[in-house]
Amino acid sequence: MDMKRGYYEDIELCRTWTSLFGLILLVCLFIATPFIIGDYNLYLINLIAINSIVAIGLNILVGYTGQISLGHAGFFAIGAYACVLSMLKLGLPFVVALPVAGFVSAGFGFLLGLPSLRLEGPYLAIATLGFGMAVTQIISHSEFTGGHMGLEAPKMSLGPFVANTSSQQYAVIIAVAFMMTVAAVNLMKTRVGRAFRAIRDSEIAAEAMGINVLKYKTLSFAVSAFYAGVAGALMAFALEHVSAGSFNLILSITFLAMIIVGGLGSIMGSILGAALLTYLQIKLQVIQEAPIIGPLLLDLSRSYFTPEGLPNIQSIIIGSIMIAIVIFEPYGVNGIYLRFKRYWKMWPF
Amino acid sequence: MRRLSSVFYLALLACLVTVCPATVLGADPVRGVTDTEILIGQWGPQTGPAALWGAVARGTGVYFDLVNEEGGIHGRKIKYFLRDDGYQPAKTKAIAKEFVESIGVFGVASGVGTSTGMAARDYLMENKVPWVGPSTGSKHWTQPLQKYLFAVYPRYSNEAFLLTQYTVEKLDKKKIAIFYQNDDYGKEGMEGVKEYVDKAGMKLVAEIPVEVTDSDLKSHALKLKESGADAVILWILPKHAAMILGQAKAIGYEPQWVASSTLSDAPLMFKLTKGLWNGVVYANFLSTESPLAKKYMEAQKKFAPSEQYTGIFFLAGFVFVEPMVEGLKRAGRDLNPETFVKAMETIRNWNDWLGHDCTFTPEDRQGMKSVYLAKCGPDGNAVKISDWLTYKGK
Repeated sequence: MDMKRGYYEDIELCRTWTSLFGLILLVCLFIATPFIIGDYNLYLINLIAINSIVAIGLNILVGYTGQISLGHAGFFAIGAYACVLSMLKLGLPFVVALPVAGFVSAGFGFLLGLPSLRLEGPYLAIATLGFGMAVTQIISHSEFTGGHMGLEAPKMSLGPFVANTSSQQYAVIIAVAFMMTVAAVNLMKTRVGRAFRAIRDSEIAAEAMGINVLKYKTLSFAVSAFYAGVAGALMAFALEHVSAGSFNLILSITFLAMIIVGGLGSIMGSILGAALLTYLQIKLQVIQEAPIIGPLLLDLSRSYFTPEGLPNIQSIIIGSIMIAIVIFEPYGVNGIYLRFKRYWKMWPF
Repeated sequence: MRRLSSVFYLALLACLVTVCPATVLGADPVRGVTDTEILIGQWGPQTGPAALWGAVARGTGVYFDLVNEEGGIHGRKIKYFLRDDGYQPAKTKAIAKEFVESIGVFGVASGVGTSTGMAARDYLMENKVPWVGPSTGSKHWTQPLQKYLFAVYPRYSNEAFLLTQYTVEKLDKKKIAIFYQNDDYGKEGMEGVKEYVDKAGMKLVAEIPVEVTDSDLKSHALKLKESGADAVILWILPKHAAMILGQAKAIGYEPQWVASSTLSDAPLMFKLTKGLWNGVVYANFLSTESPLAKKYMEAQKKFAPSEQYTGIFFLAGFVFVEPMVEGLKRAGRDLNPETFVKAMETIRNWNDWLGHDCTFTPEDRQGMKSVYLAKCGPDGNAVKISDWLTYKGK
């Protein structure tokens, strides 16, 4: 389907007028969205966009470079705290603090990348897991970071423009998410992206081809952490408060689940996975309000389960959807998307 | 083509950043109040690591059922919405938005967690949603003062002050040590203990921290013994309390243990420690022996017979929300956030509830500052040993 016959064809972002048209349509949709839907749904989209940024970053590390991380909540936390602290203590404006958060996080990513040269598979998983947990422990015990009570985030402001409401934050978050997505797509088409994939497919072969494994592995960690850091900073503003407790192991695993469900080694998959899991997590909270199914589940829960029954049904539903996707759709949600795309490309033939 | 797209992206970003859309909020007269109903929401972790505390939100549900059964409030029944946030702030904020926008609640009752509540606080306040009784003793609820937020849970530091005062003045212990959890919860307790000790011109003989994750408390017990303290104040989790009592007993060290209100479930602690809890003095902020508590437990049997956890957290779901119902009653038939706030501010030294001396003023939104002390009896029963003690400081 996507046959590419030359280097320049490969690096083009929009190969056909159709895809350019589709892109313009998408952008118009982004701009129109806040006028169409309410604050609650906008907040949901904000969360999806933020999680998409983390998922893209994590996918660069896991899907493209073949490393693993169970500590991305740690980078997420570092980004959130770095942004809030640099605004509160150093008085930096938001536009500066956001990249600062990304780079601080990337620095830690680089450091964590160093042991990855020797560690593989489950060992790397444990090392990153330890990192993620250590970060929250340190943050929650330090006076500087506000301890367990956390910190209140200052207002997100771009010069005179202060983003208070969900729709104003939406404008900022979507713009950043869009930039980060385009950057990731482009990065994967450069020498760096190809080196990442070569390392994933075979480290020895990559080294034999002259790829500096040390450099690219740590770079992959740093880039991935940069994405998580920026997303964490945005999250601090979406929540208006940061505290260590929210960046736990479950969050790290949720990020990993997003890219596995979405499709490893694909930018589109990261976004789809983040969107699906975020949507389910938020929407399943209100499953009892759903028509037909809601009352049915409520009855079931009342007669057979403990009082906590219904909320736990939500976990069961999320779990089964994830299992079903992994079993029936090895390429994740992205696989479904690709098939759909191919079908419409050929339509009506 | 490539140049075209890059120019295009730049233009697009400029558009996105400058676009600053306004939201249009629905303009109904009073959100969440109809002729027959008052809509009230609460979040509480029903799943995840903090699920045990979710009992608070279910307790509130039973309390509202009881209020409705008794005729409601000025001809209106309370319609209660309980949402599970899994103790994740991102979800809590979504719930807050759902409450305001999709459901349109009048107010929010209690809600477990500091970080979760903080994610929703500013949003609720901007939308003038009255919120009563967040179920932690954090200072964020009252500092800075929020017009629509009423805190009920006594501050940990006030409680610690009162406990220490009692230990020194009434139990006549002069060598005090504190064994605290090394986080904000423990530190707020420590703050209160120090406040008293400084005032009385004394010194703590030991300050021993414990990490939430610690699972061997032998060295802690030895340090406490070495310090020679004759009373040890505990500001820790139930599991650590059980462990330290066991370890201390094993090395032959038996001081007077004094525990915070988070360890106030005496029968449970008695069982956990296999009887060592006998004689421990602890603080409590809800009177489990009042006739109201009995009435509430009967309501639980009626409205939530399958409830398995009916301990202190479940009752806390009642106590944190009682002032809210009182406020709704006082506000009368003409109910809106402003009349509600005015009505709440008329609550002074109110005692018709499980707590004590509830007072809200325009300058002070901390409703309760009192605890009473109890002692664990020889078979795990609670024996009240003091009246309500009230913190007189700021």
